[in-house]
Order: sequence, then structure tokens, then C-alpha cells
Amino acid sequence: MEQQFRVVGNSVPRSCSKAKVTGEIKFAADIKLDNSLVLKTKRSDQPHALIRSINVEKALAVEGVRSVFTARDIPGKNLLGIINKDQPLLAEDRVRSLADAVALVVADTEEAAERGAAAVEVEYQELEAVFDPVEALKEGAVQVHEKGNLLSCRKVVKGDVEAAFTSAYSVIEKEYTTSSIEHNYIEPDAGAGYVDENGCLVIYASTQNPHYDHKEVVGLLGVADDEVRIIQATTGGGFGSKLDLNVQGFIGLALYHLKCPVRYVYSREEAYLATAKRHPFVIRVKTATDKDGRFIALQMRAVCNTGAYGSYGMAVASRSAVHATGPYAIENVDVDVKCVYTNQTFCGAMRGFGAPQMALAHESQMDLHAQALGLDPLAIRRINGLRAGQTSATGQLLTASVGFQDCLDAVAPYYEDAKENWLSAPTDPFKRRGIGIGGMWYGIGNTGVQNPSTARVEMSPEGKVTVFTGCADIGQGSTTILAQITAEVLGLGHDDITMVVGDTGCTTNAGATSASRQTYISGNAVKDGAEKLANVLLTEAVDRLRAPKNSLHFVDGHVAVSIAPEIRVSVAKLAKRIHDKGGTLSWQGFFDPETVPLDPETGEGVPYATYAYACHMAQVEVDVLTGEVDVKRIVAAHDVGHALHPGNVVGQICGGVAMGVGFALMEEFEPGKTESMKDYHVPTVSDVPEVVPIIIESPEPSGPFGAKGVGEPALIPTAPAIINGISSALNKRIYDLPANLERVIEASIQAGHFRVQE
Amino acid sequence: MSKIAYIKPDSVGDAIEILADKGSSAAIIAGGTDVMVDLRSGEITPEYLVDISRLEELKGIRMENDELVIGAGVTLSEIYNSDLLAEYAPALKKSAYNFASAQIRNIATIGGNVAHCSPCGDTIPPLVIHEAEVLLSGKDGQKRIPIEQVATGPYRSFLEPHELITAFVLKPRKAAFADFKKIGRRKDLAISRLSMAVMIDKSDDGTISFMRFSLGACTPTPHRMIPVEEFMVGKKPTEKLLFEGGRLLAESMIEITGRRPSIIYKEPAVQGLFVRMLHPVVN
Repeated sequence: MEQQFRVVGNSVPRSCSKAKVTGEIKFAADIKLDNSLVLKTKRSDQPHALIRSINVEKALAVEGVRSVFTARDIPGKNLLGIINKDQPLLAEDRVRSLADAVALVVADTEEAAERGAAAVEVEYQELEAVFDPVEALKEGAVQVHEKGNLLSCRKVVKGDVEAAFTSAYSVIEKEYTTSSIEHNYIEPDAGAGYVDENGCLVIYASTQNPHYDHKEVVGLLGVADDEVRIIQATTGGGFGSKLDLNVQGFIGLALYHLKCPVRYVYSREEAYLATAKRHPFVIRVKTATDKDGRFIALQMRAVCNTGAYGSYGMAVASRSAVHATGPYAIENVDVDVKCVYTNQTFCGAMRGFGAPQMALAHESQMDLHAQALGLDPLAIRRINGLRAGQTSATGQLLTASVGFQDCLDAVAPYYEDAKENWLSAPTDPFKRRGIGIGGMWYGIGNTGVQNPSTARVEMSPEGKVTVFTGCADIGQGSTTILAQITAEVLGLGHDDITMVVGDTGCTTNAGATSASRQTYISGNAVKDGAEKLANVLLTEAVDRLRAPKNSLHFVDGHVAVSIAPEIRVSVAKLAKRIHDKGGTLSWQGFFDPETVPLDPETGEGVPYATYAYACHMAQVEVDVLTGEVDVKRIVAAHDVGHALHPGNVVGQICGGVAMGVGFALMEEFEPGKTESMKDYHVPTVSDVPEVVPIIIESPEPSGPFGAKGVGEPALIPTAPAIINGISSALNKRIYDLPANLERVIEASIQAGHFRVQE
Repeated sequence: MSKIAYIKPDSVGDAIEILADKGSSAAIIAGGTDVMVDLRSGEITPEYLVDISRLEELKGIRMENDELVIGAGVTLSEIYNSDLLAEYAPALKKSAYNFASAQIRNIATIGGNVAHCSPCGDTIPPLVIHEAEVLLSGKDGQKRIPIEQVATGPYRSFLEPHELITAFVLKPRKAAFADFKKIGRRKDLAISRLSMAVMIDKSDDGTISFMRFSLGACTPTPHRMIPVEEFMVGKKPTEKLLFEGGRLLAESMIEITGRRPSIIYKEPAVQGLFVRMLHPVVN
């Protein structure tokens, strides 16, 4: 980059890192309020049933139980959901999944709360349940919601696919399925609350979106905005699941009625049972190329199972439809993604919002066409990969920061070397090696809708800077990056900035920590606030230094004349002068990326202001006798615009790869069966391959100092790269995730590898 | 979890007295890596926990009158680090290599692994191939039973509530080839989908002269697979023979278990793992 930066671009120590490694920091479950009562919910044991009656008498008789609340005790609106409101906090007349809460028990101890919940008697009238989304769409299927089982449908239509198929050189049609996934964040959902001296309900929660939580709890209780305050507790991961209201509503309801401190900590089992999952998809896709390997058409019909409630389902369907083409220029596109209700555990946001599911399809198709045409997998991606100046399937002209080809170029030397020196190296006669490539693109921010962020940047008369932001740092490091951005603008050190984060009592809305949006959107909002503050400081400095504004710059806590840096004045002095004159040192920053809503029929529009791009290469070794897959190495190139904190970017890439290994090989949540980590396998450190992270910087003009995002992109190409590697090793493709022992051994047998080799 | 009394006996005799007194209201705890899980899940609801983890009498690995004796309180880490076992029961040592995780290996005991009667206990197939006998102490004195009799079914023990496993007595053997292998859903901290242990000696002409083979995690209780051993002994190991032996193993397994849904994977996988494990003895 031509521009020189002092603070951004450096891997400065992360905020709270010392308190985290020493264990001093307080996560939500560590918050012990005096005399706090314990909450526990009675959940449905029926996937679909009418509630005939709820009898709480026996529960109230349990020693230590203080109260039992049901839907009747909710004073406000008993319907939750960030996009569409369809999920009651406590079920009223029916339950739609095993995760549904029916009653809330408040007790003196954990044991009493558990016994109380077990003693709540619910009389059900069982209803037929539907679990398969394809079945749920059929006429006559049992209706999960009154409005029908089709929650939403997103179409993206461009050109004429039928004509293109007719004239195509090669047409390939396949079906792919992906599994339901549990986020499995380290910290199960937790929160605590009390009523302060002004009667305000103060709720600490492990959350990704405190300002949304605030709105929901206010609505649920029917109280005024200033009667609820949400404070984000230090949060141990979320991956999308902590975007929904988990414990917050229950804590709010208990505080509203009882006015005394309460806490609710989910067990791992409850976090598994009751929180959102990744949407499983069924994807039917048909693609066509010309004789040179150029993709000319893509047709897709996909169904995603949102389970009993919408949560982020509509956003997942919408994003997946827009991402169906992958990072490739395709002229003729016809995509239809349906989001469907069933009686499964509800699905919501999870790292990638449908893009990882799409990537399995478009990257598998890419390899299938390469094979059909005798092209190299990397070469076919180069032919089709997006470049600046090209137009996406929604008709968006991509003008800048399109680094996909750079990612391919960065992986290429590793790819060539692995093909030459690793692929054919002597190995066990019953092990086969394969190299797989996976590409991806990812739109930063929400899809075709407003998603602004705000922040306040404030300087004290003594020159101390405080940033107030609603942006939840859930471990990804946004607090550090927002401090770096502020420091960069004001010529300070990152640790000169005091950060006040995620407290609706004093921060303003920064939107959700999701969609890889916080560095880009909240980063810009903070930058905007900091620049407004910088402007008044410079104006004051003009007067003081007798030099024009454009000749001044910030350096080491001073404003100095650029050509004569010894002529300078401290920021603290300027702040004091502004303050004494009655000027303002508190500035609100704002940013909302420029998007154009998508046309409901064609999907035409500008869904995102910018996109991140990536390419992963997987080297895998498959045991043809047992179905075991050993991922040896992942080379991961990511175009992040500008890495404001390279250490964080590398961390995201390595974590994303680990999660991608799980998605590819082992993770599968089966509602009603999977209970906890004993029967749900996430990769251990031994399952995580060597990762070679490569940061590509293709600066985004609208990004803060050129930055985009990397949180979700890190995960997306890993699974398709591994699947392509397995397919290449076995010469047999797997279309269903996860590629577990059963599926791999079956592929090995079908490909004829399971036999005498000598 | 209701209140549980914790008792730490000073000797095996003391422990047996307590166990005899408390009967089925007591649970024995050594490493606790199974017991704590079962307590939390409500699988067991004892009133007393009898902690035998510090009893010196249950420690140690030694040769006694040409028999290899392993105390029931020996941890998996101690098994992995034992030179004596490396020499005389290498398959057992290997089974401790990636048993669960390092933290669990440091505390989990071989006695607990056997007494839990999980069909997936990784130490059991190696004990079976060494024709191990289990030393039991109870209120009626000591007895010795074959390892295969400890479990009467999955998680069901032959042991009386007052009986304690004190040691395992193995037939030591410096076999020319010995191994333990397992397949899990991931590389560490995985319950075995299947496991197996083997010892093989060959004659000068290259034929298999001696073989002990045991299959784990596939059958309700661990099994020495004698038909497979008999089929292989006297033959020269070739890849083809291994596939045939593996085929016979799969058939023998299905004979015991019947065709359950998991057999779709296990049928080829036991054959595959058999070939993988024995492949080094080809040539």
C-alpha cells in the first residue's frame, strides 16, 4: 500500500488478552450477583403438539422453587425474531420442536430449579410432525405455522439458462446435501441480571448483538427503552448462535416479576438442545460450460430447512442465492432458494450464512467440469474467476478490490509444488493422496438491506479519548481493531483509546456481530466519529499554529505542521481550548454501506458494497481400507482488503480452517439424538492440519483504511477443498456432507480401491 | 446430583469391607473418567463413592513367576511408558498411545477401563490376546477369572458389588509382530468405532506359526476371534490372505451381532482395518 500507517496494519496486543489468559476476566457465568436466583426452563418433549394444559402446582411445591412463569406471564409481545417474528419465548398453545420452552422456573438453587422444571406438568395433544423440508413443501403437508411452511424464497435470474444449456458444450447436473451443524462455541449461553436503583432491568449476557437484545426484551416486557439495559459480558464465541435471544428474555421476564437478581447458565446439553443450528441444505444444481471451460449457465433449486422458526433463515436463503455462482462470472443464472419450516430444532445464523453450503455445490461443479474437459482445477477457476469490471449475477458491477485471481495466484506455487513433489511421493499401498481447490466470495454485511453502525468518539478536556460502540467483540477482536482505527485517525497509540463496548446504557447501535461486517461497517462508523473529532481539533490547531488545515497532521498526541513537525501543539491543549470555548468534543460516527435492495423476482440489485475472496488448497490422504481422511495441509489465501490486524486475520483463517475440517468430515447434528459433545464430534487439535495462511491485500476504497472482512470467509472454502481432494484421491466424488467414515469407505469400495493391491 | 459420601479406604481389605457393607449403594472410583460422566448424566446414582485411586496395592507392573502382572490402579500413561510392557505386551502399550486424551490417560486406570464393561474399552482386546486373567478380591477371598468373563454384556459386569479388580495377569510374549489399531470419528478423544489387537509369530518358512487376535467395539463384549486365528495359522501371509482373513472376521462378527444398521460400515471396515494392521507381516 502506498499510504503509510502507524497503528493499523500492526498486530498490537489484543484488548483483554492478559485478563483472558490469566483467567481474571469475567464471562457471563462468572458474574455472581448477591442472593441471585437460578432459572431453568421446562422444554417441550414433543416435536409438534398442541398444549392442552400446563400445571405448575407440583413445580411450585418443590422445595426452593420461588416462581413458575408461562406465556400468560409475559406482559408484552411474546414473539421474537430478528427478521420475522415467529418464535415465542414461552409456548402459548402449541410446541413446534423439542427446543421450545413451555415454562420458566425460578428457584434458590440449580438443583431446585431442575427439579421444579421436571415437575411442571404439560398435557399435550400430539400433532403430526414434518422433518424433511422437501416433504414440508408438498401439498397436504402438516403446517408448522399458520402462514404455511414456505418461509421465504429468493430468486436470482439473469440471462436465459435454457438457451445456454442448448448451446453448451458440457452440461452437468448434480444434487448436494449438507448437514445441520451445532456452533459448539466454548462458552455455553449464559447471563445474569438485577434491577438497579432506578428500577432499570440490567441484564449481562453472552451475546453477539446487545442492541437487538435490548429491543426484544423491551418488546417482550412492554416497557420503555430506558427500563432495560443490556450489557454484553465477555463472550466466549458465538459463530452466529448468540445472535438470537437465548437467556436474555428469560432473565428479563424473571427480573420484571421478581425484582431480584437472577442468573441463567445453559448446560452444554441445553445449548445443544435449545439454540440455533446451521441450516441443512438440499441443492440441485445444473451448470454448463463452453468448450474452453467458461461457465455459461447455472441453474439451481435449493431448499434450506430452517426448522421450527425463522431466526436468520430468510437471510440465509437470500445470501445463499446471491452466492450460488461462487466467485465466478456466469452470464445466465436461474437460482431459486426456498427456506422452509419443519419441526426440527430451529436453524439460524452460522458463520457463512448459507455460503459454505453453496460453496460445496459450486466448487464441486467447477471440478466436475474441469474433469469433463480435461482442464486443471486451478486453470478452470482462473478462466471463470471474477475480475474487476465484471458483473455479478445480480447485475452488480464489481469495480474495485476483486482479489480472487490474486488468491489463485498465491496458491498456485503451493499447488504446483504439491502436485510435483507430494502427490506421487511413496505412501502406504492402501492410502491415496489428493489435492483439492476451493474458492469462495463473500459479501460483507447484510444482504441488500440497510445495516448501519454508529459509534461515539469522545475526547475529555484532558485529551483522553473514549470510544463508545455497541459492537460486540465475541473473541474475534473487533474492540482492538476499532481502537486501532481511532488511534490511526487521531495520531495516538492504540492503548491510548478507552473502549466502552456493548452496553445499551451508554453505547449506540452498531448492529450485529455477524456477516463479517464489524471491521468494515463499525470500523467506518468509528472512523467517521474520529474524523469529526479530528476536524475540530485541526480547526483549533489552525488558530493556534497559524498554519492552514491541510498542512497539519496528527503525530504522537500532537497536531504538527507536516513540513515543520517541530511546530506543534498537544491534542490535550487543543481539547482544553475547545472545551473552554464551549465546543463539542463528542462526535457520533455513522456508516451504512451502499446497497440496492434485490428485486423479488430477479434478484437484481446491489446486495453488498464489497466482497471478500479466498482460495484454499487441501492436501488429503485417504485410507481406502477404513474411510479415514487425514487432512495434511491447507493453504489459505484470503483477500481481506487491508489487514488492519494481521494477527487477527491469521487467527480467523486458522480457526476457520479448523471449523471447515469439521464441516467437511465429521460434524452432523441430529435433532432428538445429538445431546452434547459426547456424540457430536468437532475436530481436536490432532485433526487440524498444517495451515499456511496467506493475506492478500486488494484495498477496498469504501473500507476503513481499505479493510473488508475475513471472519466467515475463513471457513467457506475449506470443506469444498477437502471434498475435492478426497474426490481426486479416490477418483470418486462425495456429494453429501459430512464425508464421514461411512461415506468415504463407500466411495472407496465403489471406486474399486478396496481390494488386493499387489 | 444429590449428596454423595466420599470414602477413601486405606487398603484393599478396607475397601472390600466398605463395599460389602454398602452393597450396590456404593460405586468404586479410581480415575473417575467414566464415573464422573455417569454421575452427571444420572446413569449411576450411588450414595457412596469409594476412592481406590491411592491404594499402593493396586499399583505397579511386574513379572511374577513368568507371569506379567499389571495392577488395576495403573494408569494408561504408566502403561504407555512401561518398558516391561513394551517388551512383553506391546499391543497393550500401543492401545494406551492415543487412548482418549493426554489428560485422561494421566488419570484413567486399566482396572476402570475393564470394569466399566464398555464394548469399546481400548485395553480389552490387547488383554484378550494375552489371555489375561483378572484378579478379584471380595469378601469371600480372591479369585481369578478370564478377562472375557468380566463383562456379561455392554456395561454389565459379572462382578459382585463387594468385588474389586486388583490386578491383571497376562501371558507375556515377545511376539515378532504385535499391534493395536482402532478407528474413531476423529484422531483424538474419540470412542472407538472398532478396534483390534494382534500378536503374530512366523516360522522360518514364512508361514504364520502363532496368532492371537481380538476384536473390540463391534461385539457386545470383547472377543478373541479363534476362527480367524485358525484360518491364518500355517499360511503364508499375502495381501490376498489378509483380505480373506478380514472377510472371515467380518462374517464372524456378523454371526455374533446380527445385521445392525452400523454393519454397513463395520463389515468392510473390520476387513479393511484387519488388512491395514496385518499388512506389515506380508513378506
